[in-house]
Amino acid sequence: MRRRVPRAAPLDELAARQGARPGEGEFHRLVRPETAPRPLHIVLVGWEFPPHHTGGLGVHCYELVKELTKLGHRVTFLSPFPGPFTPVDGVTFRHPGDATGGTPAEYPPAYWEGRTPDSPFANATDGYNVWISKLDRLGPVDVVHVHDWFGTVGGAALAERLHRPMVMTVHSTEYDRSLGHPWDHILARELSGIRAATRVIAVSRHLRLQLVERYGADPRRVRVVYNAVRPTDRLERIDSTKRVVLYVGRLAAMKGVDTFLRAAQRVVPSFPDVLFVIAGEGPEYARLIQLAATLGIGDRVMFLGKVSDEEREVLLSGSSVFVLPSVVEPFGIAALEAMAAGVPTIVSKTSGVAEISTGTFRVDFWDVEEFASRIAELLEYPTLRRAMGEMGQWEALREGWPERARETVTVYLDAMRAFGSGP
Amino acid sequence: MKIVLYLHLHQPWRLARFRYLDLGSGRSYFDVDRNLAIFRGIAERCYRPTMDRLLRALAEHPEFRVSLSVTGTFLEQARLAAPDVIDRLRELYRTGRVALVGETYYHSLAFLVPPPELSEEVRLHREVLRKEFGADPKVLRMTELAYSDDLARFAEGERYQGMLAEGWEGALHGQPPTHVYCAVSAPTVLLLLRHYPLSDDVGFRFSSTSWNEYPLTAEKYAGWLAATPGDVIGLFMDFETFGEHHAARTGILEFLSALPAQVARHPHLGWATVEEALGNKPRAPISVPYTMSWADQNRDLGAWLGNDLQRSAFEAAKKVGVLVQQADDEGILTDWRKLLTSDHFYYMYVSGHGADQGVHQYFSSYESPYDAYANYMNAMTDLRRRALDRLGVPILK
Repeated sequence: MRRRVPRAAPLDELAARQGARPGEGEFHRLVRPETAPRPLHIVLVGWEFPPHHTGGLGVHCYELVKELTKLGHRVTFLSPFPGPFTPVDGVTFRHPGDATGGTPAEYPPAYWEGRTPDSPFANATDGYNVWISKLDRLGPVDVVHVHDWFGTVGGAALAERLHRPMVMTVHSTEYDRSLGHPWDHILARELSGIRAATRVIAVSRHLRLQLVERYGADPRRVRVVYNAVRPTDRLERIDSTKRVVLYVGRLAAMKGVDTFLRAAQRVVPSFPDVLFVIAGEGPEYARLIQLAATLGIGDRVMFLGKVSDEEREVLLSGSSVFVLPSVVEPFGIAALEAMAAGVPTIVSKTSGVAEISTGTFRVDFWDVEEFASRIAELLEYPTLRRAMGEMGQWEALREGWPERARETVTVYLDAMRAFGSGP
Repeated sequence: MKIVLYLHLHQPWRLARFRYLDLGSGRSYFDVDRNLAIFRGIAERCYRPTMDRLLRALAEHPEFRVSLSVTGTFLEQARLAAPDVIDRLRELYRTGRVALVGETYYHSLAFLVPPPELSEEVRLHREVLRKEFGADPKVLRMTELAYSDDLARFAEGERYQGMLAEGWEGALHGQPPTHVYCAVSAPTVLLLLRHYPLSDDVGFRFSSTSWNEYPLTAEKYAGWLAATPGDVIGLFMDFETFGEHHAARTGILEFLSALPAQVARHPHLGWATVEEALGNKPRAPISVPYTMSWADQNRDLGAWLGNDLQRSAFEAAKKVGVLVQQADDEGILTDWRKLLTSDHFYYMYVSGHGADQGVHQYFSSYESPYDAYANYMNAMTDLRRRALDRLGVPILK
């Protein structure tokens, strides 16, 4: 049992371990990334855009359009908000309230308030969709690319009017965001987008499977394009008397920060030099502070609130362990950023990051003891910390946004062919 | 020309998930049920059918010979999971045409820890062979076919007449591997060498459809054996080659059954056990000043001790070993020895990157080398605490 034997079909075996079905193999690899024969014009139906963003979607759109324009394509980015938008060469930003009329939505959007069809949130998205459907003076368009549910109705109407295919990227689903209690208003928009889209992009296999099983998406139309991180200048590792176990992310129920705190409670007695740091804001903020106190670890947990990108990088450079304990995590870009910074990372098994990393610990989201043990093992064994840090960094950076953009273009071309409009 | 077919039988005591939070809990490090379940599966697919075929081949072909090595941990698991496998081994040995080979009881890296651990483990193995089979092996193999001048000296001291080693060009300096050699450091110890191209044709390539010789028939293979010049051909491989590494549907079992008859068609070919092969006059002394193994392109210990994780874990094991030797506690000593089994270190192997890891994960019982390391270190840390506790030393974290 000790010699290394090359097996005939290890990829299927590997894929099966990662939750794929037999024969699906490395289906997310779009066999041969294609190059477009001519520059494309993509209307990107977005939501947030840097400098404003609260989740992975805004970052994804920013990095995607940057790389698309580098490949020579033109992008018109639509947002319900009046900006500001971090300028990108080759990208035209349009929003309700500009020369095209309509009323812009207020930023930040109140995601977690008022689940009624006449709430300001619902009104804003409805207005956004109406505005999109009426949008003109776009010039020749090749693909309408919708991100999540926000603009699916308007995007589908626009694509139909232009006789162009619609591509929809799903970053997360309403089922997951609501932990199984979806708001039908949003669910309907997700479903209509998935049905109207010629091709659907999921940010992980796990999410792809969910789109097939729960949303009835045709598996042949759903591709996987993962997120990526941009390499940044590495900061010097910070040495301090306290060691940091870090969580960065929104404080929402689906993020499983409870597990992080309960695991912390199990770890702190053995490691008096360790501080648990939580960076981020969200609806669970007050409850989590309360929970830390209840667990008797109030003095060992630090809540930082929302941090800027620069602050996050400093935090990462001073952290010993990063934990992503999400109950649901379609991708988990925060973990990939930690890996890129060389911080050994623990992720929940259901996250998209778990699918593309071997240099992480992958834990069931409910398994507090296992999270605690993994944290303790990383704190205890320096060789392990170093080895996982190195492997994680390599895995996070081996492919970046340029590869993801090329994969996305391949989906565009596929959609155009399937639709009969090109390329 | 004599063919020496030597098959290695081993199963490690794989660890249970032993969490950091399990330290001091008194839980066992080893998942007995899981190990036995694995053993039963392999017994069904490989051990029983292959042993039955070997018995039949021995009955039908009086000239046929086989040599086997069986680790102590294999026998422990067989006793619990599939005692009929031991009965079959006894039956094989009773034919008088099957030789048994000595090694460490625990299939361990004991040759890298301070004495007397190695001779203790070799003695334990000798005892279990005597008890189970009434056998007294004359030939020694080290874990992973490790070999060096020092190990030859060790074998000489333990009164073995021969050792098995890899027929690696790096050690042979242009001489063919198809002769018997002797150790430069211990000239009474004869060396039987693995003919790795012919061994790997069966062990690795047999079921590979992309191999240009696929499919390999017994007739074709016997032809290759017949065309090989020399005195002996060492075909050394895992016993699990037959039915496990290559599934039965690949035809590997029929291949094995058909081989003696095909070999018999070449009058100058014959079979020999490792002990019979010692009758050949050694052609020349061989010097291997470093430790050679049968794995990897480099034929070194890189697959077990090549990376930081593996070396760190092994260093920990060695340090704890010092305490264990003093603790004088059978349970602690046995657990430590089970943790010295080479497989645990193999699971910490980090291959190139990405998909390669998947290929190499085939033999691993873990999701990743990091899981393997953390789990191992937890067990070793716990063992250290037990040893210190036994010695009455207060435990400082």
